Amino acid sequence: MNELGKIYQLLIPVGGHTMVFNLDAIIMSWLVIIILIVFGFFAARKKAMLPGSLQLMGELIVSKLFQLTEDALDEKLAPKYAPLIAATFMFMLLCNWIGMIPHLSEPTKDLNTPLSMGILGFVIAHHAGIKAKGFKVYAKAYFEPVFFMMPLNLIGEMAKIISISFRLFGNIMGGSIIILVVSYLVYNILLPPLLLAFFGLFVGAIQAFVFTMLTVVYISVQVK
Amino acid sequence: MAIEGADIVKAAAFLGAGLAMGLGAIGPGIGEGMAAAKTCEAIGKNPKEAGLLTRTMLVGQAVSESTGIYSLVVALLLLFVV
Amino acid sequence: MAYDVQTWINLAAYVGGGLAMGLGAVGAAIGEGYTAAQANEALGQNPEMSGDVFKSMLVGQAIAESASIFALVIAILLLFVNPSAPSAITASSLFGAGLCMGLGAIGSGVGSGIPGGQACLGIVRQPAAAGKLTTNMLIGSAVCQTPAIFAMVVALVLIFIDYSNAPLFPTWAALIGAGLSMGLSAIGSGMGGGFAAGASCEGIARQPESAANVTTTMLVGQAVSQTPAIFGLLISFVLMFKSHEASTTLSASMALLGAGICMGFGGIGPGIGNGMAAEGAVRWVARNMSHAGELMRIMLVGQAVSQSTAIYAMVISLVLIFVL
Repeated sequence: MNELGKIYQLLIPVGGHTMVFNLDAIIMSWLVIIILIVFGFFAARKKAMLPGSLQLMGELIVSKLFQLTEDALDEKLAPKYAPLIAATFMFMLLCNWIGMIPHLSEPTKDLNTPLSMGILGFVIAHHAGIKAKGFKVYAKAYFEPVFFMMPLNLIGEMAKIISISFRLFGNIMGGSIIILVVSYLVYNILLPPLLLAFFGLFVGAIQAFVFTMLTVVYISVQVK
Repeated sequence: MAIEGADIVKAAAFLGAGLAMGLGAIGPGIGEGMAAAKTCEAIGKNPKEAGLLTRTMLVGQAVSESTGIYSLVVALLLLFVV
Repeated sequence: MAYDVQTWINLAAYVGGGLAMGLGAVGAAIGEGYTAAQANEALGQNPEMSGDVFKSMLVGQAIAESASIFALVIAILLLFVNPSAPSAITASSLFGAGLCMGLGAIGSGVGSGIPGGQACLGIVRQPAAAGKLTTNMLIGSAVCQTPAIFAMVVALVLIFIDYSNAPLFPTWAALIGAGLSMGLSAIGSGMGGGFAAGASCEGIARQPESAANVTTTMLVGQAVSQTPAIFGLLISFVLMFKSHEASTTLSASMALLGAGICMGFGGIGPGIGNGMAAEGAVRWVARNMSHAGELMRIMLVGQAVSQSTAIYAMVISLVLIFVL
């Protein structure tokens, strides 16, 4: 049980403060990025009419995600945001799945990974909103229905970052804690693989999809 | 450990503020959800009137939100004024 | 009459364990009963389908059961836990853990029974869509478990983190408040997620070709319904991990307890309301697929407004924790 809450930290002193890095999360997310780049390179290397298995997989993922973006946004905006959406989904999916391999751990188990992705989506959504509607119309939305609701509207908007990142973090962290505790209670017999299939494969995929969908939806709410 | 009267009053105000906002949030939350559900139904039936329906929904929700805002005001009063 | 610390810890752990399992059984039992009732109604309409309906009823109930299995795990842990550094705070953290898991399992249990029942009815109505219905039911009721998973995380943190260095006086209230905040706010979100999932199963049975759109809308709707539970999780993390200043005044303790109660109750209504909004949207996406995008946008706008009261509750909780 001692593994609970153990983190490999890197402490760097910067001008009186200490910057704390979670090495596990950083290394694992770089690993995910490398896997994705290698996959992308090999999937797009030979663009054949009769696709090989890697190219087929890449085409399937990209076309499905493009379709989703097109449904939520419209045809004009979809080509601009679809690459972001596809990259978010594949990154999140792999981040949630990588913990199933022994000795590796999910970078999404550290709140900072989902939080940074949430802030990224938030900034992009608001940038898109300002560009699409103009700053005046965009800013006016905060003073609805009455002007003194502005601080609460602002907090409500900020709460979106919290909800999107804590949802992913809570699910992945919860899954891994439950697996750890149950494995400890049953002496690693029989149950852990089933739990891994549920929390790792199934919940991980669903939460990655939900995260991606919410990013699209936040953009589409701002744009329209 | 003797507890002073002023301390008890303050404790009650804090607990009361929590209860006021907490319980006060239940009603508006459910009510506004109902309004949104019915609006979705109406838009499903008659998509052409989407703009009108959305406006009506927002006005209705703003009215049903008012009790939530009262709770917020009461809670803030309990925290900072009383 | 003086008791030693160990007696208090045992008392809190046993009461907490009892509450965890007792309250935790409520939701799952209601949800599974609902599933069985709908399955029977379905069989009444078409007895020949009994094999398929029976299978999907059992699968649905098995998933609805998981919330109460989480509660069972926590209850067993509480009965046999042996704290490494027992102190008076341990008693309040164990009690908080039990309360959190018990209350937190109610919503998810009730909610995840609903898609199972609707899937049974749907299979009878549209036998050809049985595969799609089962997939959708599995996804829907698994997502319903999220609030219960959050509650379990908070309960496990409360059981296993060592608080013996923290000052007893405001911390005991903070830990019970953390349990209440997460447990109560999970009730609404769990039920709300179930409403959305139920409507999606009904919709797919009515219009099987809309399955992809309906499932997407359901997932977004459920995710937004979970927001109040996420606020509850945030407040209980703040209450558990902030180092509270020692203060023997009653008001310092009550401010932290009040923060937990405020966010807990404040999350119930918006969770249910968001679920209803999602239910309406999902139902009509199935009937009017061409306007799926518009319906999802209206759902999100409605949910955002209905969530505002949960945000007020979070603001009051944060004021109680940080300002006072």
